[in-house]
Amino acid sequence: MAAGPSAPGSKPVPAAKDSNCLAGLSFVFTGELSAFSREEATDLAKRFGGRVVSQPSSRTDYVVLGADAGPSKLAAIKKNNLKTLDEDGFLNLIATRVPDYTDDKLKKKIEKEQDAIRAAANELERREKEIEKKVKGKEKGKDQISNTVPLGSQLWVDRYSPHTLKEVCGNKGQIEKLQQWLNDWPSSLKSGFKKPGKNAMNTSRAVLITGPPGIGKTTAAHLCAKLAGFTPIELNASDARSKRLVENSTNVSNTSLDGWMHGTEATNAAGVKITDKSCLIMDEVDGMSAGDRGGVVALVALIRKTKIPIICIANDRGAQKLKPLIANAFNLPFRRPEAAAIRSRLLTIAFKEKMKVPANVIDQLVMGAQSDIRQVLNMLSTWKLSNNAIDFDQGKDLSKMNEKYTVLTPFDVTYKMLGPYMFSATARETLGDKMELYFHDPSFVPLFMQENYLKTQPSRIKNDAGPEKTLKHLELMDKAASSLSDGDLVDALIHGPEQHWSLMPLHAVCSTIRPASFLYGSGGGYGGQNPMSFPAWLGQNSKQSKLNRELMDMQARMRLKVSSDRHELRQSYIPALFPYVVKPLMDEGVSAVGTVITRMDDYFLNRDDWDTLVELGLDEYKDEVVLKKITPATKTGLTRKYNAADHPIAFHKATDLGKVPKKLAAQGPAPDLEEAP
Amino acid sequence: MSLWVDCYRPKSLDELHYHESLSARLRSLAASGDFPHMLFYGPSGAGKKTRIACTLKELFGKGVEKLKIDQRVFLTPSRRKLDVNVVQSNFHLEITPSEVGNYDRVVIQELLKEIAQTQQVDINARHRFKVVVINEADSLTRDAQAALRRTMEKYMSNMRIILCANSTSKLIAPIKSRCLLVRVAAPTEEEMVTVMKHVASRQNFRIEDESVVCEIARDAEGNLRKALLVFEALKMQTGSLNGPITIAKPDWETYCIKVGDMITQEQSPQRVMDVRTKLYELLSHCIPPTVILKTIAARVVEKVDESLKADIMHWAAVYEVRMRVGNKKIFHLEAWVVKVMSIYKHFFYGIDMGSFE
Repeated sequence: MAAGPSAPGSKPVPAAKDSNCLAGLSFVFTGELSAFSREEATDLAKRFGGRVVSQPSSRTDYVVLGADAGPSKLAAIKKNNLKTLDEDGFLNLIATRVPDYTDDKLKKKIEKEQDAIRAAANELERREKEIEKKVKGKEKGKDQISNTVPLGSQLWVDRYSPHTLKEVCGNKGQIEKLQQWLNDWPSSLKSGFKKPGKNAMNTSRAVLITGPPGIGKTTAAHLCAKLAGFTPIELNASDARSKRLVENSTNVSNTSLDGWMHGTEATNAAGVKITDKSCLIMDEVDGMSAGDRGGVVALVALIRKTKIPIICIANDRGAQKLKPLIANAFNLPFRRPEAAAIRSRLLTIAFKEKMKVPANVIDQLVMGAQSDIRQVLNMLSTWKLSNNAIDFDQGKDLSKMNEKYTVLTPFDVTYKMLGPYMFSATARETLGDKMELYFHDPSFVPLFMQENYLKTQPSRIKNDAGPEKTLKHLELMDKAASSLSDGDLVDALIHGPEQHWSLMPLHAVCSTIRPASFLYGSGGGYGGQNPMSFPAWLGQNSKQSKLNRELMDMQARMRLKVSSDRHELRQSYIPALFPYVVKPLMDEGVSAVGTVITRMDDYFLNRDDWDTLVELGLDEYKDEVVLKKITPATKTGLTRKYNAADHPIAFHKATDLGKVPKKLAAQGPAPDLEEAP
Repeated sequence: MSLWVDCYRPKSLDELHYHESLSARLRSLAASGDFPHMLFYGPSGAGKKTRIACTLKELFGKGVEKLKIDQRVFLTPSRRKLDVNVVQSNFHLEITPSEVGNYDRVVIQELLKEIAQTQQVDINARHRFKVVVINEADSLTRDAQAALRRTMEKYMSNMRIILCANSTSKLIAPIKSRCLLVRVAAPTEEEMVTVMKHVASRQNFRIEDESVVCEIARDAEGNLRKALLVFEALKMQTGSLNGPITIAKPDWETYCIKVGDMITQEQSPQRVMDVRTKLYELLSHCIPPTVILKTIAARVVEKVDESLKADIMHWAAVYEVRMRVGNKKIFHLEAWVVKVMSIYKHFFYGIDMGSFE
């Protein structure tokens, strides 16, 4: 019997009395519900204003229990004495509950939030008016073309970018550190970067900020620099930053004629106004790619002697080319801000733009964009073009539409595939969705499946017991294994001479989806004893080809004496040669070296072949076992004595003789196999 | 001193011990002056290469015994270097195209064209043509085999090809029809015993206990090479070759047997994974997958009930075919192992539960 819902979609969602009926409640879901998948259920809770957390704690209001709830969650329920609901109870709660607006606490909280939003929106309004005034004044005063864009046509992202540090969402601690470092800069410069200071930062002449896009790294860097009285000079991926250019353009004290001609302030070669206090912001340093050869190295050289602060910004801290930079700059990793940290800011902006956006929709959007504030703002501003309000479902669709496509690792794919949810009856993934998972990495996923498919406790047999269970388990394993075998046949067609790439979807089904559909279940990454592992096939395969090559060399040398091919050599000769070439060294030690070498010479074997011969052994002749019985003295004795004398050689390697390889023509079209003989 | 197998290998057709009618035919073919392309096939250790060498000697005289190995390097369009070892005398050369895997077609064409374009320089040579021996012809790709067809006809004037294979089943029909097929069957036990007696007399000792030699012959299953190697090993171990002896199996065979026992002892996912590690070990140590499957299947069949034997062998055959067609041998080996476990367990509980009721 498969686990899970007996009747997916059988129960309708009741009409709620209040659209925010679950407000103020937090829920934990565990186990499988009968009519809803996990995702649908959590969506329901969120839609009606509830909060969904993954682990139960004393502050959880309700735990919604399904079949086969996790044991750790059950324990937590007991410990914290939590209220539990079944599926019907949960639906009932939605249908009947009316949030207690008379409750003072709740009321005050809501009011307070609203007030804060209103105040912040007013503040925004005021600031914009000020700016507008300033711009107008400027335009009147000077007959110059202003390059400021009127506020109304600015992107929201620019228009509402934070003006004070308080407005930056999240990463407060890191921003404070940055601020401190910039404030301390003059004194640390004076002390020659010897005094570490409060955050141990003042010995670095540069800071490297890393973190995912859209969380305010650049904004924070600019703000901090401005607030500390520096003039930021920003160079980003749009500027060429090769070695030479970094060296030249960052030479900040070089004034250019261009600036002087315009009769305004002096600017440097890069066209940036120069004050006595500048701060260099190198944005997107991991984007210094092929065109910017030597850029990172030049940057590091610059950092070593700079007299102005340098702030570098990158996305991927682990990138190989950032290695030298990480060693020379203080690292400030920025994290994705929590939805709660962004919520009020986004609500303020929405309020100011006269959009009706409920808080749970904002949360949904933030979650969908993975806390990328910039993306959420862009999404909202696009939405504003056609609508003034957005509800839960629309929000969901919008974030789905703007979903960032991330490539899962084969590990993740295997976890998902073999996990208990992908094939459970409440799962809503279509065959296409499952195939999509395979296509995250079509060459590795099948290998991972083959390595790990036996590590689960299949959900299909969890209601059976005794011999019945064992038999069914074996049957499922058999089906899965034969499907994997099918998959390999398809793979041979795909990678064969005719390259049937159109069979990839079939390969996805045979190699990945079908086996998983039999053996999915908990275990292996879901708390089972067998963790998922990296496929052994790769290592074993390269070992096989290495030994095969060595065996082939050996056969070529022995060919003058021995007629057998390499398979026969391995299967008959090596076991037969073993007592003459290896065994004496195990039994007699150094004294046997002489006879062993004569025997090797008979077959034109050299010292390396001896190693191969030992390496090829199995079972009681396995190399580890054998080498343990040969003393190091014997082995060095063998090497020394072998090297001391001349030996017959079957042939010289062509490369040793300096032969020039003959070029083969391209393979050309394959011959027509169907032609009459 | 080399091993006896190599020491006492027959050098001419007259010295061969068995298949006398075949020897006679080869002798007259070599004498006729009209020597065809040939295909020698038969199980390993039956004496194919020995017979080829003897025939060549009959054709060209003692000159063919002066062998040298010449390593040739080729550069593929994808700039990979390929080493090809060519064993050659003045009159013939021998190549093993399976050394270069998928590039066998171009390499063979390149080598054959070279030979075909050069005339025999030696005025005293008995024949105008050179002979090319192609080893492991059954592992030639289909492309390479197809390319051979034309070559075999075109260069008939100064080249003959001798193919050497274990079975003809993997050769395409056009190739077979262009060759004179020579089957070198495995020697019978009596024939092997004669050879071993001959070796003993050359080695100057007398076989006192004939049953020991018979036992060796039976164990070798038609592989004379194996028989002689075992014969020598036993002689070295016991000294006298008397009395009851146990023939030590080679390392890989005992290992396969262990795997077979693992399958019959326990049937569980964990056991399959243990078996998988062992299979990887066998594969990576250059034991061909078909040999592994055959040996393990033989062991399993030995252990199980009569009624299961046919089934297990059937599935072994099915998965052997799949192994040949597919890429990753382990997938199919493992699928067979799981299949056998499932069959075995079902049978086991079938009896168990039947007896309870």
